Amino acid sequence: MFHSQCLPVYAVSLLPRNLRQTEALRTMPSDLTRGADFEQLALPLFASLYNHAFWLTRNQAEAEDLVQETFSKALRAFDAFQSDTNFKAWIFRILRNTFLTTRAGIAASRTVFLEDHPDTLETTASGPTPEENLIRLDNQAALHAALEQLKPSLREVLLLCDVEEIKYKDIALILDVPIGTVMSRISRARSTLRQLLQQQLGESL
Amino acid sequence: MTQPTQLNQFTEHLNPDTLNAFIDGELPPTNQQEIERHLTNCHACTLRVLSATRLKAATARAGHRFAPAPDALARLIVQLRSQQTQTKDQPQTKNPARIYSIRPAAWAALAAAILLTISLLGWRQLHQTNTLAAELLDQHLATLSSGATPQVISTDRHTVKPWFQGRLPFSFNLPDTTALPPDTTLKGADLTYLDGQPAALLLFTIHKHEVSIFLTQRATGPTLTTVPSTRAGFTLQTATTPDLRIIAVSDVNPTDLDLLVASLVHAQSPA
Repeated sequence: MFHSQCLPVYAVSLLPRNLRQTEALRTMPSDLTRGADFEQLALPLFASLYNHAFWLTRNQAEAEDLVQETFSKALRAFDAFQSDTNFKAWIFRILRNTFLTTRAGIAASRTVFLEDHPDTLETTASGPTPEENLIRLDNQAALHAALEQLKPSLREVLLLCDVEEIKYKDIALILDVPIGTVMSRISRARSTLRQLLQQQLGESL
Repeated sequence: MTQPTQLNQFTEHLNPDTLNAFIDGELPPTNQQEIERHLTNCHACTLRVLSATRLKAATARAGHRFAPAPDALARLIVQLRSQQTQTKDQPQTKNPARIYSIRPAAWAALAAAILLTISLLGWRQLHQTNTLAAELLDQHLATLSSGATPQVISTDRHTVKPWFQGRLPFSFNLPDTTALPPDTTLKGADLTYLDGQPAALLLFTIHKHEVSIFLTQRATGPTLTTVPSTRAGFTLQTATTPDLRIIAVSDVNPTDLDLLVASLVHAQSPA
């Protein structure tokens, strides 16, 4: 269906060009390659975006809708994408902003990011680190449960950092916060995660 | 990033932010080396780094948890391509209005794609019914224009029928002039394509009303779709024989059209 519509344009553009053809077709092949460029960059991120969308929405249908809308918006805005920016960060930012306009997203954004306020941050807490922690940290079931309990804003930053392996400066771009906030949220998220694991696995952690 | 610069290798332990930045590979090389030197001398910090690295790796595994449905990617691609087609079809590519006009179309296409996965057959029938009716009408209207002359202009069935031999993968019979309803004349015939299949187009007149009769092979046809009985003021009349599907399009009154279709059906049955 789509190929039958796309192919003739390619076919014509391969013909020796006279001026009129060049005039008429100038934008079309570049639009097509632009679309192809977009797909090449975006489609490999589908599974990651879906996983992240599911963590945000906690619902399969909503996650899928969110990803669809993200791709759709990203394609439309792709002309504005600067090739020197990180595409993954760019599209994750669109995903997040799209989520924030949904009902669930609006509700989530109402929970103020208290952990960003310096006075509530335990910056000095280093936490106990006995050797046996190392073994227990691999307990996947416990970790799943702990991630579920983590505040969405803390979970989000950890997922971007640990799961998606996005750099702090790009996380700052996605979350639209200063890089220092990214760092403190990551610290906060990991120490909270540790505490949650501790509650589950006894006091040894 | 924060300032791990004045880290005293022997007395000052890593603060949590520095430790995290270290395991995330976010520190500039000089700070990174500084911390590595500290770790060679500090057992407690080494354990914390090791523990944090383990937690990071475990989080990565636990966080990568939700896989999309197997067909979700295909649906997405359908949506994207239709969106691109929409964009391409807009003549003024820099017109800001385009942004708003693409969206409903893209979502409509997505809805179509979802329908497709829910019920391929049902969707196909619905789709084909509409496009087939449109196609029939288009072709009929094309025959009405004065410039369109059929490839075979003949009132003689003995001329028209053989012309199709070798041009169509099936054959059919034409009723004798006497077997046609009153004031009904064969004008000519054309080879055409309907719904992607070769078809014989027979042109008749009934009381000076033009009639297009499309004959297609029934066996190769997809599931029989029902064509609406009227479209844009034209009557669409469908009949089938064991081998053929006959569709008539005309603005003549339906009763006369029925008679012509019936005579064609009758001509197919072995004498």
